[in-house]
Amino acid sequence: MSPAAPPQVQSLTCPNCGASLTVRSMGRAITIVCGHCHSILDAKDPQLRILQRFDAATAAEPPAIPLGSRGKWRGADYEVIGFQVRSMEADGIPYSWREYLLFNPYKGFRYFTEYNGHWNDCSVATALPEAQGISVKYLGKTYKHFQTYTATTTFVLGEFPWRVTVDDAVAVTDYVAPPYLLSSEMSGSETTWTLGEYINGADIWNAFGLPGAAPTPLGVYENQPSRMRASASQIWFVFAGLATAVFVIFTLSQLFSGREEVFREAYSFSPSSTEASFVTPEFELKGRTSSVEVQTDADVTNRWIYLNYALIDEDTGQAYDFGREVSYYTGVDSDGGWQEGSQRDRVVLPSIPPGHYYLRIEPESDASLGIIGYNVTVTRDVPVLGLYLAAIAALLLPALLVSWRVYNFEQMRWAESDHPLVSTGGGE
Amino acid sequence: MIWNRLYLIYGIVVVLLLGAGAYRGWSFTSVNEVKNVPKSIRDNPGSYRAIYAGYHHYTGGK
Repeated sequence: MSPAAPPQVQSLTCPNCGASLTVRSMGRAITIVCGHCHSILDAKDPQLRILQRFDAATAAEPPAIPLGSRGKWRGADYEVIGFQVRSMEADGIPYSWREYLLFNPYKGFRYFTEYNGHWNDCSVATALPEAQGISVKYLGKTYKHFQTYTATTTFVLGEFPWRVTVDDAVAVTDYVAPPYLLSSEMSGSETTWTLGEYINGADIWNAFGLPGAAPTPLGVYENQPSRMRASASQIWFVFAGLATAVFVIFTLSQLFSGREEVFREAYSFSPSSTEASFVTPEFELKGRTSSVEVQTDADVTNRWIYLNYALIDEDTGQAYDFGREVSYYTGVDSDGGWQEGSQRDRVVLPSIPPGHYYLRIEPESDASLGIIGYNVTVTRDVPVLGLYLAAIAALLLPALLVSWRVYNFEQMRWAESDHPLVSTGGGE
Repeated sequence: MIWNRLYLIYGIVVVLLLGAGAYRGWSFTSVNEVKNVPKSIRDNPGSYRAIYAGYHHYTGGK
């Protein structure tokens, strides 16, 4: 294979305004647009026949990457030789985007597209996609239909390897598989497929040595990859592992918790008594520091009793004060039978050290309710289900948050499509 | 990827805290701790001022 010819640059003159034209893709250009008067010229005609004139100032649509800019892209030197602005209309609102044609004499053409700071690196597809319902399959990857619209060329500058005119209209269908975008452009009987890949504007700025910084992307673009998507699937995998660890700890605590009953006594309370408070006999909490459950069972049908408890360490004088109400009401009304409350109350005190303890109990109730009998049971080393539920909630929350952000991102993406999701919200 | 690593670290901390809590008997009950309660309480329970005494009680029913 003989080496390809080196890049050639030829200077010509615009037949309309006399301005000099620089042609960078000699032999490949079909159309040249004069940068001065915007006459669209036939590059294949030795006389540069004028194909179209359009009235526009270059300053109205300045290319962010000036024509003639050179840079290394995907391992090859490319030069920006053409620029066009195209637009479409959706729901009566016009949307415009910009396309920069790049040329390398050995690699051929490719182009960058830019919309609201979102960039794509595009080149002609190398195979014909297969239709699969409203999706297409290309090189083993399925692309979902995103939108179908008519794209109209509104501004051109530089040279193009195809016949370009302002107001050219083609039917475009976009399919997405982020970060890739597959577009078909249909004009008459001819369909051209283009493959685009979402890229960062900063990479272009670096590659082409452009001054300043790339514009900040606005919103979510159709093939913009979600930074969170990969995280979302993996985070649930991690969650499954952590939830298993929680389950193992729960099982172990169920198996090895002592649930040691250390005290049980029955009492009765007369609300009319002058001194209600009393102390229980001493009981011992053995082993390590652990939870202590105090259970109160009271005979309170349509009555209540409130118990001021103090669990007091006989040796250190440390007291744990807490109050518990036991009340139970039941009856019948126009809606039928009803009941509220319970005759049993349980409370788990946290991290009680071993030692010799007693309870100081001070019951309260309404004097009209009569004598109330109740039982007090103290059990040490009782598993606390709430801890496990809290742990699962703490693990679940970040995973749900990431999933919600991914969903939100997709909502914003598809809101611009022909298949919007239910509602729109904030993005990543 | 960074999110997954952060989440893994966070999750391990949660699981370790759970293990410690299960072993040490943590619970969500709020108790008031009082230090140096005199031994005379045993003989005179009425001298102890319970923190929750006089607390508003449920006295209702439907």
